[in-house]
Amino acid sequence: MDYGLRLTSPSEVPSDPRAACPDGWRDLLPEGRTVALYFGSEFCEDRLPDPAEAKAWCEAAHDRGVEATLATPLVSPEGLRSVERLLDGLAVAGLRPAVVFNDWGVLGLLRERHASLPRRAGRLMNRSLRDPRAYRDAPGGTATHDTGRHVRLRALLRTLGVGAIETDADLEGGYLGERDDGGAVRLDRTLHFPFTYAASGRGCPLKAALYPEGGGFAQAFADPCPAPCRGRPLPVQRPDTALPHWRAGNTLFYEPPREAMRSWLPRADRIVVHAMAAP
Amino acid sequence: MKILAPLKAADEVVPLCEAGAGEFYCGVAPPGWEEAFGSASVHRRSARAAGVPGLHDLDRIVAHAQGRPVFATLNAPSYPAGAVPRLVEFGRALVEHHGVAALIVAEMELMLALCEAGLAARVHVSSLATCRNPGAGAFFRGLGVSRVILPRHMTLAEIETTAIPGLEWEAFLMNDGCAFEEGTCSTTHAFKPYCIDDTVGHAQGKLDERYAFWKWTLNNCGCQTSRGYTLGPCGLCALPRLECAGIDSLKVVGREAPLDRKVASVRLAAIALGVAERGASRESIRDAVVAERGAPELCENAHLCYYPDVWSDALPRQREARPATPRAAAAKRRIVPIRAVPAESRDAVRGDPC
Repeated sequence: MDYGLRLTSPSEVPSDPRAACPDGWRDLLPEGRTVALYFGSEFCEDRLPDPAEAKAWCEAAHDRGVEATLATPLVSPEGLRSVERLLDGLAVAGLRPAVVFNDWGVLGLLRERHASLPRRAGRLMNRSLRDPRAYRDAPGGTATHDTGRHVRLRALLRTLGVGAIETDADLEGGYLGERDDGGAVRLDRTLHFPFTYAASGRGCPLKAALYPEGGGFAQAFADPCPAPCRGRPLPVQRPDTALPHWRAGNTLFYEPPREAMRSWLPRADRIVVHAMAAP
Repeated sequence: MKILAPLKAADEVVPLCEAGAGEFYCGVAPPGWEEAFGSASVHRRSARAAGVPGLHDLDRIVAHAQGRPVFATLNAPSYPAGAVPRLVEFGRALVEHHGVAALIVAEMELMLALCEAGLAARVHVSSLATCRNPGAGAFFRGLGVSRVILPRHMTLAEIETTAIPGLEWEAFLMNDGCAFEEGTCSTTHAFKPYCIDDTVGHAQGKLDERYAFWKWTLNNCGCQTSRGYTLGPCGLCALPRLECAGIDSLKVVGREAPLDRKVASVRLAAIALGVAERGASRESIRDAVVAERGAPELCENAHLCYYPDVWSDALPRQREARPATPRAAAAKRRIVPIRAVPAESRDAVRGDPC
């Protein structure tokens, strides 16, 4: 198995990629080697790295002989410009990370301005059901893993020069397809582990805390944020599910049941191990 | 700009037309759907509570609409295996035999299948597809669809940039907010809305209270009304800027709502649109809305605003905080420009607010 690592710092790359995984999950993971270091943000444009931070991640990846992989979120027009500036800056510095896109506008930017960068379709491109409450009656999940789903989307991504698709464990399955269902043009299949996102949005409560009462939330969608969520996912208790939940800034993640996660592992070529829930 | 009204029954059409609706949308399921796909949603809402009962009813809706476009929602974020071919066949029947003007679609697989079937021009991209920037707009335009519905969580400045030429654009105008972006909420209301029981986490106290208050406003202030008008999220004061941004259609939310609430929402939207079309300022529109609806306190701090940046010059600013990162330290507050017109010169722009 190939591994991507989503760490909190580029200086903490373990020799065994499974060591980056939170306790309680490592034993599910097969042996493998680290092939990529992930950085950036899949869910919040305010968590995109500045050029210096991105450069540090790219150099750390280069030093370890693995691929630097920049995650990008759904973006506003200003966020799209931020991604463009970031990629322009990295190109000037001679750095060429793979880019995970979660927005069709970012894919367009990659094709038009940075066509040589490897493109990976992020997990927000898969809008399948992930409701954690569905596991109450089906701890193994309900995923049929029918690879007949999303055939056209995978074909479109191939024609747009995308080399990999990523997801977390959903309740339907099938999004990643078969290993070779595209013939000569293969889509590498990547699974994020062990956190599945449940819901995300721009009305971030942690950002709202930076405003006086009556401010924040919808009134602050376009304001930049100093990211008080950084490095600090909050455990969240819910009355309707016992699955562990985490608030990471604007996004709620949960840890699916082990049985459900186990069913996804054979369907991936790469596992992205997250050291903690992060937007 | 036209007011787009929700529907679930044929006898709702005439009252909504009289209130000012210019377009309609409704959910309808293919015959035999439940037998084939169980409880999987066709159109994001409960078929029983929010859907048109059947195709005969849909035919009556189209007839009563007397030429006003009727759109059908096939806007679940994802469908089970085997559903897409069935929905393409159903979608074709809706537009070719039942007078439906367009299909509102969220799932990419279904969208691509409809495009492949030659129906792209009859596809409206659902807000769940989260088209939030001009690059995404260009992508959908390239598919040949005719309209994009913008998601809820956008500012006016972002809408102005995103609404590129070559497409019709639709924006949310009234009712039923979402704490999360609907397109990036991967849960289902079948278990009840996930956000209702959401807390910030780890005993946040006062912040949890503020979060709960925001969610309460999004939930139409606990499903309250004032003088029959829903006290829900509202973008009426932003109408002049939505017009300038190139918005064609103004969405009133609430297929499952009782008819009197739908009619009241459309009527209030029509009143505000009439005021806006006469060149009124945001303040004049707000005053007209409050005079009709009441509950002025909910407008005082932009609590109900879909687009609070219409009042950006009056919103609370971020506190000075110790930045967590060098990038944050360098970040400057992004001031959303508001095209506010000084009171003394407002008359000068009447008839040409753009």
